[in-house]
Amino acid sequence: MRIARRVAGGLAMPLGSVLFAFIAGAIILLVTGANPLDAYGGLLCGGLGVACSQGENPALQISNTIVFTIPLITAGVAVALPFRAGLFNIGVEGQFLAGAMACTAIGIKFSSLPGPVLLPMVLIGGMVAGSLWAGVAGVLKATTGAHEVVTTIMMNYIAQWLLRYLIIGGPLQLGPGTSRSLPIGAGAQLATFLPATNALFLGLPSSVYRVHTGLLLALVAAAVFAFFLWRTSLGYEIRAVGQSQRAARYAGVSVRRTIIVTMLIAGAFSGLTGAIQIAGIDHSLTDIFFSDTTGFDAIAVALLGLGSSVGIVLASLLFGALHSGGAVMQADAGISSNLVLVVQALILFSIAANFIGAIRQKLPFGRPPSTALPPELPPAAGLMTEAAAPPPEPA
Amino acid sequence: MTAIGDVLHLLITANLWQATLTAAVLLLLPALGGVISERSGVVNIAMEGMMLTGAFFGVVADLAWHNPWLATLVAMVAGGLMALIHAVVSIRFRADQIVSGIAINIFAAGLTVFLVNRIYGLQDVGHVGQSELLPNFNVPVLDQIPFIGQVVFQQNVIVYIALILLVLVHVVLFRTRLGLRIRAVGEHPQAADTAGINVYAIRYGAVITSGLLSGLSGAFLAIGISNTFVPNMTDGRGYIALAAMIFGKWTPFGAFVACVIFGLGEAIYANNSIIHISQYLLSMLPYIITLVVLAGLVGRSNPPAADGLPYVPGSE
Repeated sequence: MRIARRVAGGLAMPLGSVLFAFIAGAIILLVTGANPLDAYGGLLCGGLGVACSQGENPALQISNTIVFTIPLITAGVAVALPFRAGLFNIGVEGQFLAGAMACTAIGIKFSSLPGPVLLPMVLIGGMVAGSLWAGVAGVLKATTGAHEVVTTIMMNYIAQWLLRYLIIGGPLQLGPGTSRSLPIGAGAQLATFLPATNALFLGLPSSVYRVHTGLLLALVAAAVFAFFLWRTSLGYEIRAVGQSQRAARYAGVSVRRTIIVTMLIAGAFSGLTGAIQIAGIDHSLTDIFFSDTTGFDAIAVALLGLGSSVGIVLASLLFGALHSGGAVMQADAGISSNLVLVVQALILFSIAANFIGAIRQKLPFGRPPSTALPPELPPAAGLMTEAAAPPPEPA
Repeated sequence: MTAIGDVLHLLITANLWQATLTAAVLLLLPALGGVISERSGVVNIAMEGMMLTGAFFGVVADLAWHNPWLATLVAMVAGGLMALIHAVVSIRFRADQIVSGIAINIFAAGLTVFLVNRIYGLQDVGHVGQSELLPNFNVPVLDQIPFIGQVVFQQNVIVYIALILLVLVHVVLFRTRLGLRIRAVGEHPQAADTAGINVYAIRYGAVITSGLLSGLSGAFLAIGISNTFVPNMTDGRGYIALAAMIFGKWTPFGAFVACVIFGLGEAIYANNSIIHISQYLLSMLPYIITLVVLAGLVGRSNPPAADGLPYVPGSE
């Protein structure tokens, strides 16, 4: 009974935030003269494959949702882990692109190698690249105190422009006039669960279902995250630094080293995300990546998932469904799929401001919310001020 | 090396510096907004979103009413309203200001394209006529000064407004009672409160001002330099403005210097026919420079002491 109440209490914030976002989204739709039922019906169909009005194949919709979910899980971990150390990694997008670029470069360069050799190479290559990208922010934070929010934003843009260079006029370009890279070798590709043939599966050729074995990698990554954080000494050090740098220092934890290592590991998760996306779905860098938002979706995923691995997987499913649903909503109801971004931003507002806590405070039987931030959030306190004072090390 | 000689030659042309100032002003306006907001203690990484919102509503209003001045006002109000959301969420609800800023940027990116689709269908937004753009204006007499005349006094009206605002913001922040209050609230809100300053009012005002300025920059971009709205047309300028603010150590003139440096890079590329480095590689430069600056080449930057801290009355 008490456990049930605690679970319900824990779920109130994320579920309430999602509900708030959909209600506010409906108001925006109504004000702009659109029918929220049409819009949300499209999202439901494209996300979960139910209540489809235009005869969409439900299995395909669910497959698409999972395809969108996969990168969000690993990217969500890349935000959630630094949160525990009190670091705000908004550079997942850049690290993701670095991973995708490294994966593609290796997959092209060594395209003749067999799968058992090449696939680990591209995945590890992506992780290393993401790690280096995040490591810049980690090292700057630990040595000069430069705030990671600012440095990771800069690294995001550097990655964006590097990507454009590589596939437009740069060394990875497919051919003059194109804005995509050569395809990676067959050995670098992650297998799909269904064979890429014309054999019918639930009414469609099995080749249209793009769900790939990266799903297993992502789930393993989420499990590794939980194990690492709660069952290893490094995980303990990360949490200690996040709770109080001063206390961690007295406990003998090197704050600088922990900050750098945390960013390196987070970058590896982001880089893995990019590598899985290339190896599993795109098989080459294309201009779709110019407008990619995985790294920013990941922030919402990590916050909504309350920083736990189960929560991250569930939140990824929600955002995966929204992304998949957005396309169907645009096709069926003629409402721009950008509504999904609006809903996502509203969820972020709601979580950050703890609207739900404020509402519960007003209710007669509601418990007063703590004025403190949820423990998963690094305190905004000192976000910029830390820049002036890098963590001192004991002599 | 003739290439270096050619670039050096380019550096003494008035055209280049004229373009530099235009590009710098686009960054200066949101950077000034950032300075004001952060001086009052509210971290603001949402200039990008506020600027984008301003650009969109500026174009919508100009297309509807064919009046660039009215459209600019609308753009500023739109930017201000986005800032109001950031203010309510981070001051009233004491939210994490970074999360709120990210949410504003995502919200703006999504909402503008969503509204393009609602208002104009799936086609283009349409183009603003030449006569409905924010005009260029040559200051009489002064524009005849050799070199300086062309660089400073043959510009868009917004450039003059921005330069006046630059001086104004500096004077207000460092030479007036209001400025002292803003800085007091950003350094030590408890002490400011004790002294009878309304911390919340100052912070709301500062954040909303940052939205007005970012919206103005959005209008300059959309109906001054360009003549239409395209999705995500601000293209990271709000973030470069953020970098310029830090680069300039949270001072108006420091930020202006940074904006000129970033603007010069943009102008050199646009005006030269010599450098054949990929434009994409060159576009990385402002970000790399900022990283290098942050790495400590220019010394430690000292932000306002209470920057990012929600104010809870009665707390220590």
